[in-house]
Amino acid sequence: MKKTKLGEFEELVLLTVAALQKDAYGVEIKRELEARLKEKLSVGSIQSALKRMEEKGFLTSEFGEATQKRGGKRKRIYVTTSYAHKVLSEMKEIRAGLWESIPDLTQQLNLI
Amino acid sequence: MSQHLDTQPPEWPLKLLRFLVKEEYIEEIEGDMEEMFQNNIEDLSIRKARRRYVWDTLKLLRPSLLKNFKPVPTFNQNAMYKNYFKVAYRNLLKKKAYSFINISGLGLGIACCILIFMYVTDELSYDNYHDKGNRIYRVAHTEAAKDGTTPYPFWIWGNAPVGPALKNDFPEIDKVVQFSGRSDLLLSYEDKTFQEDGVFFMDSTAFDIFSWKLLKGNPKTVLAAPFSIVLTESTARKYFGNEDPIGKTLKGSESAGRSNAGDYTVTGVMEDVPANSHFRFNALLSLNTFRISRPEIFKEWGYVDFYTYFLVNEHFDEAAFRKKIPAFVKSHIGNPEWRYTIAIEPLKDVYLRTAAERQPGETGSLPNIYVFSVIGIFILVIAMINFMNLSTARSLERSKEVGVRKSIGADRKSLISQFLGESLIIVSLSAVLAVIIVIVALPYMVDFTNKDLHIESFINWKTMSLFTALMFIIGLLSGSYPAMILSGFNPVLILKGSSRTTTGGASLRKALVVFQFTLSIALIAGTIIVYTQMNHLLDKDLGFDKEQMLILDYNYDGIVNQKSEALKAELEKNSSVISVAFSRSVPGSYFPNAGTEIETPKGEMTMMGQPIFQVGMDFVTHFGLHLIAGRTYSREHPSDSSKALIVNEAAAKQFGYQNPADIVGKKFSQWGRSGVVIGVVKDFNFTSLHRNIEPLTLPFEPYASRYLSIKIKSENIEETIKSVGEVWQNIAPHRPFLYSFLNEDFNRQYKSDFIFRRLFTTFACLAIFIACLGLLGLATYTAQQRTKEIGIRKVLGADVRNIVGLLSRDFIILVFIAILIATPISWYAMNKWLEGFAYRMTLHPWIFAIAGFIALTIAVITISFQSIKAALTNPVTSLKSE
Repeated sequence: MKKTKLGEFEELVLLTVAALQKDAYGVEIKRELEARLKEKLSVGSIQSALKRMEEKGFLTSEFGEATQKRGGKRKRIYVTTSYAHKVLSEMKEIRAGLWESIPDLTQQLNLI
Repeated sequence: MSQHLDTQPPEWPLKLLRFLVKEEYIEEIEGDMEEMFQNNIEDLSIRKARRRYVWDTLKLLRPSLLKNFKPVPTFNQNAMYKNYFKVAYRNLLKKKAYSFINISGLGLGIACCILIFMYVTDELSYDNYHDKGNRIYRVAHTEAAKDGTTPYPFWIWGNAPVGPALKNDFPEIDKVVQFSGRSDLLLSYEDKTFQEDGVFFMDSTAFDIFSWKLLKGNPKTVLAAPFSIVLTESTARKYFGNEDPIGKTLKGSESAGRSNAGDYTVTGVMEDVPANSHFRFNALLSLNTFRISRPEIFKEWGYVDFYTYFLVNEHFDEAAFRKKIPAFVKSHIGNPEWRYTIAIEPLKDVYLRTAAERQPGETGSLPNIYVFSVIGIFILVIAMINFMNLSTARSLERSKEVGVRKSIGADRKSLISQFLGESLIIVSLSAVLAVIIVIVALPYMVDFTNKDLHIESFINWKTMSLFTALMFIIGLLSGSYPAMILSGFNPVLILKGSSRTTTGGASLRKALVVFQFTLSIALIAGTIIVYTQMNHLLDKDLGFDKEQMLILDYNYDGIVNQKSEALKAELEKNSSVISVAFSRSVPGSYFPNAGTEIETPKGEMTMMGQPIFQVGMDFVTHFGLHLIAGRTYSREHPSDSSKALIVNEAAAKQFGYQNPADIVGKKFSQWGRSGVVIGVVKDFNFTSLHRNIEPLTLPFEPYASRYLSIKIKSENIEETIKSVGEVWQNIAPHRPFLYSFLNEDFNRQYKSDFIFRRLFTTFACLAIFIACLGLLGLATYTAQQRTKEIGIRKVLGADVRNIVGLLSRDFIILVFIAILIATPISWYAMNKWLEGFAYRMTLHPWIFAIAGFIALTIAVITISFQSIKAALTNPVTSLKSE
């Protein structure tokens, strides 16, 4: 967890990509995240997060099919790398560990 | 359609994206944006969707998504550029021979191009100065064939009534200007008398149509009144000096067939006619002078003595107008047997693109322009190839430099720009040299072409930017290949020293040498052919005597014609004069056409047209014509003056007589005369050898002559001319004694051919010279490369011959290949050129053999210059050097 430096927003995007599997391309990722976060996101923020993570090695991508709706332009489907999985699960563990320590705290608080 | 348009996202954000976003991202992002836009259209209003599209686009502009416009962080590179210049400068100085070959070769090439460009521009500039030029047309006349086609040549010279008829029938024609054929007349003011050749009787509308500048006088009226005259500036100065000529009177002689002698009042002075005009003159007489003298001609559709130009308005449609011509002609020509018709030519075509005959002035030649442009490009290409060859050949020398630069961190781009920069430096030095050469050579060019070329008229922003752009292109073209080769070297291999074995584009170099020599050999062959053909023209027996023939043009002067017998008798008394004859024309001059009826072998009279050559007594013997049947005109047959006719062989054939003798004794009728054909002369070339001998009739017409021709002995020509002049002064004191020599006059018809020959030869020689410069450079380089090899060979016992052969063989093979390629190309091209002559030389194979031999000799001399030097060096010195 030294140099991975995964930002909060980036982590969310990465998780969405992992969740969407074969449907993980720009518009779909944005829609999914907007639905979950209940707020509007810009294409630019999603795209720059995707590109950054691709550079860091969390994601790979390849062109998918083109549709009429896209004006004949192909989609770029993002796939999480095993490294990303490792980092994500590490993060999850750290968080889980942290959460686990929380009930003790509440109990203590309750005791007061 | 509009529905579809509405569902499109706005365009400009997309363009912005395409410009700014990294290329590898653009497809995906564009697609995403489009898809979202389509989704938004379904959910929201179109306007809102568009607004969101724009907003999203702007939010996309983030550093991580944008292109790298400045890939390298800027640091100070001045030192590197300084070093580039230093290295270029040192290289120029270190290799003086190469620098000389490169710069002088390119300089010469560019100079040739500039000179040719000036010539071509001048040719193309003819008549461009007329403000209304694109609305001016002229009429060409001809007679159609039975099927309506026009196989016979068009004449620009035609009848008068066509002008007013055109103006009357076509509302789209604004103005018509007509002028007579060239008149030659004597003008005198006080004691000054000059023969003015090339004066036109010109309509008063001239200054409305043509943009000649009138310095004095009212353009509307200067040419209105009969016997008014407009002088050009230089003519006015000739007669009046610094006096104001307006209102002064010039005495004019008779202009045969056009007007009587009379006093002309100067009504205007105009600027001299620009040199780039398709016809020029010294003075204009009002056409009304002609009109009051011979009014009947102006209604006669069959009388030929006028040029007709007209100005159209903007409703004019050329194609539609051409369609109306047949109806127009039909409505004016009553006689259905006469298939007269006209065509029109726009002013922009009259100098270079006209095929018509009987022009008011000189015409240019479009093929010549092409030939010279091609030669100019050839020369430049040869010079550029030199540059490329020498730079690539020398690439090895600089490979170390490339290796060092690359290992320090120079990338390919900066190396390419370094080498391109060097070639640009060389090109700009050549350009300076070229300008100097042009300034020095321009007077010779003016002399060659008889064109008034000025460097000042070519210095304007257009030509200057063209010139700069051309220099840039030359620099890039000739520098790009060496730059690619040099920058592509692998630094590891170079610095290890193993690149000695790679030859760096040797095969391309060979191909380029072959190409250069192909061009050179083609040009040598062309030169030989042009020379042989011109000599063929000059030396050909024309069938008449043109040597030592003095010609006096007295322009139909009535008094001279009256005294012709006395003049002839007086002149023949002189022992240096062999014979004297009068005629209406002389060979190489102008012959009108006549319709002649002669009895055919079947016994019926047939009308045929052919040139007519009216001659006086003794003409046949005087000009050395060969009488092949019958007899010539003689004093013993008084009826000859009206009842006899001599024709040439071609005319006998024209009327159906295979044996020319059979036409003798047949009836003829021509221009109001009738009688019998009394003799046939052998065909002679009465016009230039560009044309075949046409049928010709030679009627007897002693008292309406224009020329006096005097055959003199070859000794003491000056003295003879002096005594002829004295006789002339006694008998015809009112006419200046103007003489010329027939052979010179005749050869003047080939003026443009001579210009062509001179230019062609000069530029061909230059091309060969530049190609040899390049070969010299390459040979020098090869010899240097093989210094060690030569040394070892010599030590092992090779003699000079072996070594010279070794060094020359490669190049000589290349020259041979070039000969093989050049021969068919030049054969084809020169055959095309020769088609312009009716009398051509035969294209012997030996011409190409000689051309090849010359090229080979030049190449061998060039190479051996170096190879012998290399072969003679002491092996000790060559092997010692490391």
